Parts: sequence; C-alpha cells; structure tokens
Amino acid sequence: MLLMNVCGTMSGPILGAASGRLPPMRRVKAGIAGLLMLVPIQAQADADPDLAGRRGGLVDEIIFATETDTARLSGLIADGAFHLTAQGVTDQSVFQRIRDSELADYDLSFGGSVELTLNPVGPTFEDGTLNPFSVPAIREAMNQLIDRRFIAEEIYGGLARPRTLPIGTAVPDFARLAAEARAIELRYRHDPPRALAVIEAEMEALGAERQGGIWHFEGRPVTLRLVIRSDDARRQVGDYVANLLEGAGFQTERLYRGPEEASRIWIASDPAAGQWHMVTGAWVSTLVRRDSASDFDFYYTPRGRPDPLWQAYAPDPEFDRIAARLNEGDFADLEERAGLMARAIELAMQDSARIWLVDQSQIGPRAADVQVAFDLAGGVRGSQLWPLTLRFADRVGGQMRVAAPSVLTEPWNPVAGTNWLFDRMVQRAISDASVLPDPFTGLHRPQRLDRAELTVRTGTPVSVTLPWVTLDEADGIIVPDDAWIAWDEGEGRFLTVAETGQHGLEARTRAVLHYRPDFFARPWHDGSTVSLADVLVSWALSFSRADPDSPHFDPSHVPGFEVFERQFRGWRILSEDPFVLEVYSDQISLDAETMISQRVVSVLPWHVIGLAMLAEAQGELAFSSARADRLDAEWLSLVAGPSLPILDRKLDQARAAGTIPFPALLGPHLAGDAIAIRHDNIAAWRAARRHFQIGEGPYYLHSVHPIEGALVLRHFPDFPDPSDRWLGFADPPIPVLDLDGPLIVARGEDARFTIAATFAGAPVEAADIETARFLLFNGDGALVEEGEATELGGGNWEVAFDPGRIAALGMGPNSLEVVFTSRHVAMPVFASQPFATVPSRTAEW
Amino acid sequence: MVQIADPGHGQEPPPGTQIAPNDARRREMTGLALFMARRIVALVLTVLVGVYMTIIIANVGGQVDDLRVIQIRADVSDAVRSDPGVAAADRLALIEAQVALEVERLGLDRPFVWRSLDYLRRAMLLDLGRAEQMSSDLGSRQVSAIITERLPATLLLFGTANVLVFVVSIVVALRLSRRYGSWLDRTIVALAPSSAAPGWFYGLFLILIFAFAWPLFPSGGMVAVPPPETALRYAMSVVHHMVLPVTAIFISSIFVSIYSWRTFFLIHSSEDHVEMARAKGLPDRMIEARYILRPTLPSIVTSFLLMLIGLWSGAIILEQVFNWPGLGTLLFQAIGFRDTPVIIGGVVIFAYLLALTVFLLDFLYAALDPRVRVATP
Repeated sequence: MLLMNVCGTMSGPILGAASGRLPPMRRVKAGIAGLLMLVPIQAQADADPDLAGRRGGLVDEIIFATETDTARLSGLIADGAFHLTAQGVTDQSVFQRIRDSELADYDLSFGGSVELTLNPVGPTFEDGTLNPFSVPAIREAMNQLIDRRFIAEEIYGGLARPRTLPIGTAVPDFARLAAEARAIELRYRHDPPRALAVIEAEMEALGAERQGGIWHFEGRPVTLRLVIRSDDARRQVGDYVANLLEGAGFQTERLYRGPEEASRIWIASDPAAGQWHMVTGAWVSTLVRRDSASDFDFYYTPRGRPDPLWQAYAPDPEFDRIAARLNEGDFADLEERAGLMARAIELAMQDSARIWLVDQSQIGPRAADVQVAFDLAGGVRGSQLWPLTLRFADRVGGQMRVAAPSVLTEPWNPVAGTNWLFDRMVQRAISDASVLPDPFTGLHRPQRLDRAELTVRTGTPVSVTLPWVTLDEADGIIVPDDAWIAWDEGEGRFLTVAETGQHGLEARTRAVLHYRPDFFARPWHDGSTVSLADVLVSWALSFSRADPDSPHFDPSHVPGFEVFERQFRGWRILSEDPFVLEVYSDQISLDAETMISQRVVSVLPWHVIGLAMLAEAQGELAFSSARADRLDAEWLSLVAGPSLPILDRKLDQARAAGTIPFPALLGPHLAGDAIAIRHDNIAAWRAARRHFQIGEGPYYLHSVHPIEGALVLRHFPDFPDPSDRWLGFADPPIPVLDLDGPLIVARGEDARFTIAATFAGAPVEAADIETARFLLFNGDGALVEEGEATELGGGNWEVAFDPGRIAALGMGPNSLEVVFTSRHVAMPVFASQPFATVPSRTAEW
Repeated sequence: MVQIADPGHGQEPPPGTQIAPNDARRREMTGLALFMARRIVALVLTVLVGVYMTIIIANVGGQVDDLRVIQIRADVSDAVRSDPGVAAADRLALIEAQVALEVERLGLDRPFVWRSLDYLRRAMLLDLGRAEQMSSDLGSRQVSAIITERLPATLLLFGTANVLVFVVSIVVALRLSRRYGSWLDRTIVALAPSSAAPGWFYGLFLILIFAFAWPLFPSGGMVAVPPPETALRYAMSVVHHMVLPVTAIFISSIFVSIYSWRTFFLIHSSEDHVEMARAKGLPDRMIEARYILRPTLPSIVTSFLLMLIGLWSGAIILEQVFNWPGLGTLLFQAIGFRDTPVIIGGVVIFAYLLALTVFLLDFLYAALDPRVRVATP
C-alpha cells in the first residue's frame, strides 16, 4: 500500500513492476516498508527529471510568516499569499471553505481527543451534597447515555470520530487490539434506556428519590455542577451532556469557563469540596504514540499526576495493579502485554472516571498543488519529514510560503532554546536528525544511521519491526571498563567505568549504532565539516550543565539530567571512521526502533557553542531561560537580538586566542588549522547572514525578520541525500474497505462476504495488510465468532460462514465487522454489514 | 493651582501698595515652584495609585498566582509525560522538582504582597525589569526591549491615522462651522453615527474588498515577506501595508470627529467678539485664525496631546485583524500569559506619559491663553 502512495505520481505499469519485486511478507518480518522505501527513489527520479541529481529539499525557498487568524486561511491560500499552514484547524467553517475550494486542499490528522472527566469522590461531598458520579456503575452507564456519533457528526461537523475506549482510535495499540476493542465498543454502544435504568437503580440505592421527575437527596434536589469549557466546541458538548443529565432527572448548573478558570476549579480544588461534578476535557498528542500502555496509569490512578483530582482516584485493585504493570513495562512479552491491555480496557470502562467521547481531527490547509508528509497525529507541525517532502506537485524548486501563528517566539539556541511548536518545526528544516519517525506509524527510520544492533537482557519485552535494527537477547550485559560514564569538571574529561570504580556494571540494554560513512563528511551550513568534536561537545555540555562546579551549571537542567543519569550506563566509541558508537542504558521502550532513537547522538557546532559558553561563563548570556533569569543576563539567541553583539565579541576573543570549549576533551580531535578554519567560517557566515544559526539540514536560515514575524529558509545544495528519498510519505496510505455480501441469509445456506481494500482507487496488496480480521455479532451485540479473513488476491478478501455457523446464529439481525490494519498506518480501518438470518427457504415455501 | 486672573480678587496688590520688581519676580518664581512641586507630588501619587491598582488587578489580588502554579503543573506534567526517556518511577518526582524550580524562578514562593511592593518600587523607578514568560521579537527578556520594539509600529500606524483624522477634522470642521446647514454639513451630521463601529469593523470589510475580492492591498502584516532589502522599497512596502488599516481607522473616526469639532467651533463662532469681528467686516481667514482658533487653542492642544498619548496603547483588535505587530497585540499577549512585568511596564509608561502631558498642559495653557496665571501665595 505504501507503494501506491509512493507512486502517486507514477504510472500503473511501474507500480506493478515494483510490487512484483516484493519479497514474501513472512520472510522479512514486516520489513517491507523499509525495503520499499528504496524502490520508488529511482522510479521517482525517472518520472521527474527535475529531481535527478538534486539533493536536500524540494523547493528553493521557504518563507515562514506570522498569520494568527485561521478564518482567513482559505482566502489567503486561494489568493496565493500562502501555500501551506503550519497550524491545525478545527473550525468547521474554515474546513468547509477549504473543502469547497478548488485551489485549496487539506490533510487530516488525528491527535486530539475529547472526554468528560468525572469527580469520583463520594457518595457525598464535604458539604453533604450527593455526588452520583462516585458510583462506578453510574459513571459506566454514562457511556451508554451519550451518543458519540451525534457529537462527532453534529457538533464537530465530521472533524471527529467517535471514541469509546481509553486508548485512541489512531494509535498502533488500537490497531493491535482492534477486535477486542470493537467488541467492548459494541458493549458500550448508545443505549439510553439501559443507561437510565442503571442510573435509576443506583440513585435509589444511594437513598435518592425522584420527586416531580427530579432526583432529591435528603430533601434537596440533586444538582450537578458541570464545568464546561467555553472556548471551543466543548461548549456544545457540555450543553448536550447537561441536557441528557437533565433528562435523567438531575438539575444542572452549567459553569462556562475558559481554560484557566476551569483549571482552578477542577485541578486546583479538592474534589471532595464538591465544586464540580464533571468537566469537559481534551487532550492533544503531537506525534503518533507507539505505546499507549501508560495511559491507564496516567488517567485513572493517583500515580498520573500529583494534583488533588488524581490523588482522589481509587481504582479497583486489579485495575490498579495492571495499570502499574503496563506503565512500568512489567510483562514478559507482547502477548502478555496484549492480554493486560485488553483487561485494562475492560476495567477502565468499568471505572469510567473519564468518559471518552471523540477523537478530534484537525485539518492542515494547503494549496491544492502542494505535497508534504504530515504526521498522522501532529499534522504538519508535528511532522519530522516535512522539510524533506515539501514540494509543489508539478515542479521541483520554487518559493513556498508557510503561515504559522507564531515564529521566533522565543530565543533560538540548540541547548535550551525555544520549545515552541512552530519554532521547532522550522528548526527541523535546519537540522539533520539521525533517525526520523514514520509520520504514519511513529516507527523510527534511519537517516544518518546505516544500521543498529540492539541487545536486551533476556525477558525484556521489546519487539522490532523494521529491518535496519537487529534485536538480540543476552542473559547479562556487562558495561566495558573503558566506557565513558561520568564527567570530571575539573579535568574537563569523561571518566570511564573503571575510573569510577564500577567494574562489572550491568546494563539492561546495549545498542551499537553504525553511522553512515559520510557522517563526518557532511557540511555545516557555514562550510565547516561535521566532526567528532561536534558530538563530544554535546555530551560534555550536558554533563557540565548538571555539575555544580561548572560555570555552566544550570539548576533547571538538573532534574532532567538526573533522570537520564539513572538510566545511562555508558558510551564507547568503537570506531571513528566510520563512526560506530556503543551505548549502554537501562531505558526500555516497546519498540527497538524507538530505543535506538533514544540512543543516537546529537551534534552541535562546537565553534558556535564555544562562543556561547564563553558568554555564559562570563555571565553575559545563558543557554536557558531559567539561568538567564538567575544571572540577570540575556537568554542566548543565535538568530537575533542582544545576544548577537555579545557573540561577536566572543568570536573576536576566540579567534584571537584560538579558544575551544572543553580543550582537554576536544583538543585531540582538532588538529592543525581546524580551529582557525571553523572560526573563519562562522565569522564569514555571520557577516553574510547576520546571525549565528547554522545546522546541517536540507535548508539553511537565510534571513531573520523578528519584528515582521518572518524568516526565510533556502535550499542547502550540499545536503548529502537525494531529494526524493522520503517522497513515499507524502500521503498516508489508509485503505478504504468495501464490504459486500448478502443482506438476508436463510438457514441451511452458507454466506460469503467479500472485502475490497483500495487506496487511491487501486487495490491494496496483501503484503501491505498486517491483519484482516472479522468479528461476527449476533442480534444481542454479543461477539459470537472472530477470525482472519481469507485473502483472494487483487486486493480482495473473503469471509465465509458455513450453514452450521449460520444456523447457530438463530433467527434475527446480525452484524459482520471487519478490521484491517495496515503495515504503514497506525490507524485501523473498519467496515460493517448487517445481515439477517431467516428460516430456511424450504420451510418458508 | 492655575487660575484665571481676575483683577480685584486678591491677586493684584491693593492700590497704593508699592512692590519692588525683584520681590514680585521672586514671589512669582516661588509661586511657580510651589505650584510645580504640588503638581508633581499629586501626579506622582496618582501614578503610584494607578500602578499599584494595576498590579493588584492584573494579579487579582494574588489569586493569579494559583492559576500560574496550576499552569506550571500542567505544562510540566505534559512535558514530562511526553518524554519517552523518563521512566515511570521517576515521573512524579521529576514533575515536582521542575515545578519547584519554575515556582522559585517566578518568585511564586514569596507572598504576593511583598512581590507587589517590589513590582511597585521598580515601576516607580522606571526599572521595568525582566518579563516572566515573554520574549521580545529579537529575543530579549527585558521588558523595556519588549515594549520599545513594538512601539514604532504602533506609533507609525496610529500616529499616521490619528494625525490625519485630527488635521482633516479640524480643517473641515472649521469650514463647516461657517457653512452651518449646508449639504456637506448635513451629510457629515448624518454620517457621524457611523463612528459607532470601531476601526476593525471597517477593516474586515476593507480586507474583504481590497485584499481578497479586488486584491490591491495586502490583507495584513506590516511589510512584505520577506522584507525588501533596500530602505526605500521597505518604506514603500510599509506604506502599502498601512493603507487599509489607516483607512479603517480614518473611516471609523473622521465623521464623528468633524461633527464634534464643528459643533465646538460653531459655539465659538457665535460668541459676541466673533460676531463683532464679522460686523466689522474682517476677512474670514482672519476671523478663523484670530477670533476662533486662538481662543480654542487650549482645547485643541489638549485634545491633540491626549490623542498622542492614546496612541501608546494601540488597539488590540485592529492590530489583530491586520496582523500588525504593535503594542496592542503585545499587551493582549501579555495579559494572556499573565506576564505581570510586561503588563505593568505598559501601564507605567502610559501613566508617566499621561502625567507628564497633564503637567505640560498646565504650562501650555498659560502660554496659549493670557488669562491663565499661576496663583501667587
């Protein structure tokens, strides 16, 4: 299926030829995506002569400008003022205008969710009033009282999908647990009579009685205080739920509040004080979350957050135990994890401290002739691949204008500078990551790495999907004596395991990272060449900033560093050319690819960082905002403002004295005139570009216009990779299912249902489908059978039931659901068909 | 106190009293000094009260501290949770440590009353200090840098528009005051209520018409992006971008301004001394300049100066509509961030400018109107 997407601009025969080269799925263990990535490169270059020989980005210039008014986006795109917008839009009117425009188009991302947070304290609050939501059964019944489809379609105008379960519908875990999830969803489907019956029974059990249609407790009407966010569509959601609750016999007090005022009520107050019963909540993720196992611990237990509400959670002991195990990765293998997850979902629904309503979609508006890889959860702003895929559909090169609600929001520096989404988005174009997450699955793929080997302690639940990582197990992983593990600020060098007296130190994991041979041949934007010193300065600075004896000591860096230190077990450079690095750590993730992404090195241009270090040591600048406040100095910005003249002075000093940071560590790696060349390069860059921001990414920062809220990136022709390397990710290959079969099946007959899976009108290859499952539900909504659909070829699958199976269903309505999960998209797709089983035709005659 | 001199009410010495010229000058100077001192003390007290009220209101008497701590907790929790490198066992401790650091950085661990006094002391000394959350566009945390960076854009836009409105309305009003009841006069009177709609309202229509339907002007921003590299082209681009917002302000203000001044001049035009001048057959221009404009000059100057000060705060919605990087937007952001030093900084400068203007106006009145004198002790 990825192939279809990759070859969106290719002809059919090429598609067929490419797909014909696919190896059998079982042999490559889900590694097809990685392999296919190589296939379209040549094909794309053949198809588009402009791409031949081009390196780096696909446009010549990208202009980022501030545009805060999303209502104008459709007009600005149609007008040609902008080609792409960085922010996601949830406004329905904008969505409709974009959808109706011939000049504009959009991408959909699924990173948001909306829920009802219920106050679990009770049965009575401190003031003696009743809290019906203290009863889990009433909370659970709320799931059936609410019509999620109405919320998704009527309130969110289609920019949302119903969500019942505590895990999102667009995450890999939902795909893995699709069958179980669907069965539970059906159990909690919209059924107001059943919900009302439960509420009535439980309210009576609490001692409440209904007078004149209103529930009373101890002579007073039961009034529910609903905190309703008034700044988005949650206002309508809150009103809708309030109306339902009034219909159930409760009085409601609707507290319409903005974000801060709402927080003060539901987060800051003691839930036992009874200031609120329910809050309309929302959560956002800006990247595809590979592992949702920790969600139960976060959303339903006191371990989630230190705030009073979380501390009031008292989950069922079994649920609490499972949530903790999932959070800590305490399971032997993925099978056990799947079982725990399924059970946790069931228990979470019984707990229902939160009622999940919808997964909200955002549109990313763009011009119709623009292509870009957007993240399935985070949209364009969350996409790591956007700089490498952004292009005009019909040409290479040109000027692209991107609207963002803010740019240059806070000072830029690579150590502790801005962390605003849109600043980070721009910075991704300037830098060059070692690995990049797949925007549709979240799995990391190599960019600067050739391959990686991961060894984990036996029994550690880790899996691998893509072929660039090999995974092994070992009974014991001993950290070598010569691995670096600590920092000596006095001597300015790393200490080895042996020097710190930790001989025989064990680690849970060992990763060997094989970087590409050209890793240290890549140019920085100022013409310097990336070197090992750029790696070392990054490591050393991180340790130094956590050392109280260092002139760079930053208390705000310490908590995060301590977490890193508790898991870090050592670095060892196995080879400098090609660069091979060994990393020991106790940090564990579900995916081997994710773990490798957490072991890769970052590179910092030592000659620029060195200037900033000089300034920080002399109290004139600081890397972090917190330290700048403590020093009463400016927060380091490499792109603009008062930092620049200070850095100019430091550059003069450094050039005159040949100063380098951490001389004991870096000195041996900077031979000859390497220091002078670097200083000359950055001086020339500063003179030409008027800033100090350099990177090694596909675009360089050409000019900065802070007051005007704009900046200009230009194509960096010396970027090492061909421009079409990542083009396969321009569009998420989400399959479309067409389920067809009989609507009436007579006893004694068999039934055959066919499923056609297509993407962009073309059949989906079986190799691109990870699972094709079916679920058969009887008239009561009970799951009576599940299994795998049979592949027929040509993008078709079949589900067949023999006469015995049909007879066992009895007479009445049934439903067949199919769930397909793609290897290339984290989001499962569903299709369903109702059918009726009737008496045999012979009997009827 | 400034008084209108009234011979026979104690300001002049009784007949027959001899006062040496030096003594008279000394008494005048002493009176002036006392007057200035009293005015300065009064104005400083006014500024002090105004600024402290702003501090209290901006922090809702310290309750904003709770909101800020909640926000810090939420931000830190989300950041820690989204960091895959943080083990579950470390999460709560890391959240608490980072929250504590941020609370300490912002001084939220100190009682609000002490911080409010600290804010006040620094504000009165015009030490605007550092912002807590915001940075200037250039990346500085200094409040003075944050404000002064946006000031030129606001002054340019609102200065141009308001000076235009002021001059045009004075000229047209003066003319209309002599053509009372003419068709133009009636038209202006009829159009005056149109100023009930603010500038941004007209701005939306102007954008729709002249930026989208008939794209003659840009829909927003201060300059083309990327900004032109030569100064002349840059200036031309700024002018091009100013057309719609200036027009919006102009349309929203001009009719009521003309109407107001026209009424003002009309009243003065029917004063006895003006009628006398007309009866003597003096030319219209001389009557306007000598008998209408001059006596009304204090009011005109007061209005002009207050208008200039009013530019300081910009206009939040108009700047948002036109995406204009001015002070209005800045203060709006500062309120959103609850960045107290920036809010206070904006108010302090406005308060000092206002106080200074009021102080200067006292002297301007005396210079412009011979009837105005400082009361001598």
